[in-house]
Amino acid sequence: MASNTVMVDSSIFEDIQQKIDDDTAFNDELRETVQQLNKQVRSAQAALSQVHAIPRDQLAAHITKTQPLIHAEITTISQLATKASQQPYYKWNHVWTRSVQDACFTILFAHYAASSALLTIEDLGARLSIPVNLKDRDAFHLTIEEYLLALISLIEELARLARNAVTIGDYSRPLEIARFVNNIHAGFQILNLKNDILRRRSDGIKYRLKEVEDVVYDLSLRGLVPKEETKDEEMKT
Amino acid sequence: MPQSNTQNKKRSAEDAFGERPAKMESPFMPMFEGFKSELDEHHDRRERIIKASRDITATSKKIIFGLQRVRNMKQPIPGAITKSNQPLWDLISKAYSSISTDLQGLNTYRYSKQITGGTQEFMEALSFQHYLEAQSLVSLQEASRSTADLGGPNNPILLSEADYLLGVFDMTGELMRFAITVMATSGEVPSAKLEVEGEQSHRNVLTDLRDVRDFLKAVDVPHYSSLNKDMNKKMEVLETCVVKVENALYGLTVRGAERPKGWLPDEKMVGRDEVVGH
Repeated sequence: MASNTVMVDSSIFEDIQQKIDDDTAFNDELRETVQQLNKQVRSAQAALSQVHAIPRDQLAAHITKTQPLIHAEITTISQLATKASQQPYYKWNHVWTRSVQDACFTILFAHYAASSALLTIEDLGARLSIPVNLKDRDAFHLTIEEYLLALISLIEELARLARNAVTIGDYSRPLEIARFVNNIHAGFQILNLKNDILRRRSDGIKYRLKEVEDVVYDLSLRGLVPKEETKDEEMKT
Repeated sequence: MPQSNTQNKKRSAEDAFGERPAKMESPFMPMFEGFKSELDEHHDRRERIIKASRDITATSKKIIFGLQRVRNMKQPIPGAITKSNQPLWDLISKAYSSISTDLQGLNTYRYSKQITGGTQEFMEALSFQHYLEAQSLVSLQEASRSTADLGGPNNPILLSEADYLLGVFDMTGELMRFAITVMATSGEVPSAKLEVEGEQSHRNVLTDLRDVRDFLKAVDVPHYSSLNKDMNKKMEVLETCVVKVENALYGLTVRGAERPKGWLPDEKMVGRDEVVGH
């Protein structure tokens, strides 16, 4: 009865240590890729912050110039996807989720700056060439939460853009942004959010909406709202 | 009139935030409707798991409480205790199978934060009973088999290394309580009075406790992990557990010789032994 002569069979802890070491090595690998992504995200964000200072007619050209930076992010995300898909998605999701959200934000913002339109979660997944809201198998994907959190970052950025657009003489941008933020806000209102990060961050949307509407109010008070926009608004109400 | 003023303000806020979307449907509504149902599904699953985890924790505590009535080790658990604990084990298995489909595939690790509390407590009960019966530490493999079975066919429940380690940490607290109680009531440190192939076994709860501590101390976990933080906290508790048993044994050695055979301490004495243990 050799097994009964000791309290702890040493192979128990050898096995556990092996598993922990394997996890640590995998974690380090992921972190390396995530750090690269973070660097690329910062470059993309720096380039995109110019959007606040560039007149609209030159914006498309600027966004085209930022495309290589965004492409670099996408390449790193696909490397991350390959690596991460070797193991259960949610075991490691916490390592990259913040960085992926930030990268998603840069893509959403670049797209909005150039076209005033929203990329849906499917559009964004297609851009990244990763599946979205995966349910039937365990692999790397973009979650709904990640998309929504990136969307909230976009709204925060657009609240700033509404004011800065006025500064550089673009009076129609704030009206567009007001409509856009209003529509997103309406969407968030139907979600039953629990007390988590999504809830906490989405609570800020209404304040951003108010900021943007204040800009629109300031403009209309001074008769600065462009003509066709006013007509547009009247038709809609 | 300040009151009507605030009412006006409130109404204009409603205009801005509430009524407009109703008048003019947001083009993003269909997308958000999809998100809504996905998130609802996720939150429902999460709540179910949290509830089951709480039930499993409470039931495991009851099992441990029952096992603390055991006075001898390396023997089958007395029939009365087995009988009163069996319905509790069944309850745990029922709680796990009620959520085991929620914890498969992609979702195996998704809710680990929600279920880990229950699984650790179950691990504590399982390893304590195993110790009382076999005087050894149950292995991760054996314990994993037990948790896997709890989910029912084709829906195994995962026992992570963290669940295992943290459960074992908690089990050492039960060993301390068990040791102190037995020493106080029988005047002897619990050990299996067995001769293994002619060799006298010198192992008792204290040496076993130290053994487990030394192995747990040697586990090398990355400093940034949450497991490291949890283990450090529990290691402090484990150290005091060992000291408590050491102190109790010291008291027993010094004063034990003066005790007449068969003498049992009264409640007060048990209390004092424990105070000495602090």
